Amino acid sequence: MEIVTKKDVQPEVNMKAPKNLSPWAIARKKFVKNKLAMISLAFMIVITLLAIFAPLLTKADITRIDYMAMNAAPSSEHWFGTDTNGRDVFARTLYGGRTSLLIGVACTTLVILIGTLIGSIAGYYGGKVDQFLMRFTDFVLNFPLIVFVVVLNTILIGKISGVWTLILVVSFLSWGSTARLVRSKILAEKENEYVLSAVSIGCSPFKIIFKHLLPNVFSTIVVQASLQMAILIVFESAISFIGFGVPADTPSWGNMLTEARESDVLQNKPWMWVPPGLAITFTILAINFIGEGLKDALNPKSLR
Amino acid sequence: MLQYSLRRILGMIPMLILISFVVFSLAKMMPGDPFGGEINPSNTDPKYIEEMRDKLGYNDPIYVQYWNWVKGVAQGDLGKSTTHKLPTLDIILERMPNTIFLALTSLLITYVFAFILGMYAGRKPYTLADNFIAGYNYFALAVPSFIAGIVGIYLFSFQLGWFPFSGSVEVGLKEGSWEFIQSRIHHVILPALILGLMSTAQYTQFLRNDIIENSRKDFVRTARAKGTKESKIYNVHILRNSMIPLITFLGFDLVTIISGSIITETIFTYPGIGKLFVDSVATRDYSVMMSLTMLFSILTLVGNLVADLLYGVADPRIRLD
Repeated sequence: MEIVTKKDVQPEVNMKAPKNLSPWAIARKKFVKNKLAMISLAFMIVITLLAIFAPLLTKADITRIDYMAMNAAPSSEHWFGTDTNGRDVFARTLYGGRTSLLIGVACTTLVILIGTLIGSIAGYYGGKVDQFLMRFTDFVLNFPLIVFVVVLNTILIGKISGVWTLILVVSFLSWGSTARLVRSKILAEKENEYVLSAVSIGCSPFKIIFKHLLPNVFSTIVVQASLQMAILIVFESAISFIGFGVPADTPSWGNMLTEARESDVLQNKPWMWVPPGLAITFTILAINFIGEGLKDALNPKSLR
Repeated sequence: MLQYSLRRILGMIPMLILISFVVFSLAKMMPGDPFGGEINPSNTDPKYIEEMRDKLGYNDPIYVQYWNWVKGVAQGDLGKSTTHKLPTLDIILERMPNTIFLALTSLLITYVFAFILGMYAGRKPYTLADNFIAGYNYFALAVPSFIAGIVGIYLFSFQLGWFPFSGSVEVGLKEGSWEFIQSRIHHVILPALILGLMSTAQYTQFLRNDIIENSRKDFVRTARAKGTKESKIYNVHILRNSMIPLITFLGFDLVTIISGSIITETIFTYPGIGKLFVDSVATRDYSVMMSLTMLFSILTLVGNLVADLLYGVADPRIRLD
């Protein structure tokens, strides 16, 4: 009898201080405890805000070519100096962040959407659908991305060009690895009994994929998204650096670095290429740390 | 294994045909004469262009044109470069050794550093040096290699003057002479070192984690119990097991090096096929550009195939069809 009464007391204590947190709450706690990830997150928030509010922070005109102020070294007027066309490097770095981050976020969103959709359909249906979709994925994966972006850029030049064209082209060529990853996770997940019971009570495949399977592979997708974002931002800057990405009239961190291809600028005017270079490096570092933090936080087996 | 490899190689053929369709249609969308390089792009007289188009068979049905192109490519006829006034194949073959030389040197540097750093960090994990190596790995994974290249040129070519910042060999040296070889190596060191040190990070990290994992396994305990020397356990018993998964990276590295050559060679103005590609776009040398597009695609396909086959070598249980 005594044991029974004690058992009755126990739940009351538990209700006052619930020890059993939801998986998401545990993940959030782990993430908040991870110092590197939190610093990186703060850094990314600051960078994003700087990019969004760039027009309020600087009055400099980033497109006007000013022959009077060409190649100026950093001064109180131009904090980071000016570039070979007399444009303020500080202002261009802020605006460049806008372009680079926009491309990073937009491409990641598209890549994850397409990859998840194709991967989950292939994984869930299996058989012929799976084979067809995966051959298609292989096909896309076998294109050297840089080469095709350059070629398409040459064909489309003068017809349509701009940031959004680049975003679409890059996204449609780089969802392959995400699709493969999601497919393999769905393949493992759909063997669980809750899927069988969902099928047996007549759930539609659409509902099973979106309500039952995807939430369970969500953590993988989040980590993959952070990886992809770092890769895509690097890709944007690399392709813009060789002159085939973002058109020259829109500043981006990548095409600001193009200046460094001239050996005079590279040797004697480091203020033109150091700010965008540092911006890219720290952004990628921050995204990587956030990704690592998420991976740790979302992995129930990790000890931290 | 042989049967699996053969099946994989045969499986490449449909992919190759699909890619050739895509490259062909992209080339068709290009202005001028992307296949032959026979039409002079500066001559815009419509009559001349019409005449040349007729002569070169551009008014034939599309499938005939495709077939002629495929036949040409198979026989090594890639058209003529409008800029260099030479057959495209000759130009590509002339530049190819430079790219291969750079790729092999940087791979060698990657492996050497990965083994030194990875083995040390794996043997003494959670020490100061291990943390230092881990910090370097984070840094190397985050810094894009082209930014590292820019900084490298700035520091080592301009500030210190140790290495040349462009070209693959000094002009005016006799081919095959000792100075020629010296100069080539001198030119390749900086790009290879930067590429190699940047990509060594993932190898190092992988090797370290694998060594730590293996060092807890039963066969290590057995070896220790028998009184094997600690250095022998690490350098022979564990390393042999940790090395096998590493070779799977090679295929992916091939792919990265191939497409990365476009950017690396642009930074270092190193005359390989990557630089040739960028130049051909700038000078509208379409036959070179499309041939290189096809070449890059084929190399990527081969790289992915190698990666898959090496997976099979590393882990015989893997037999994907």
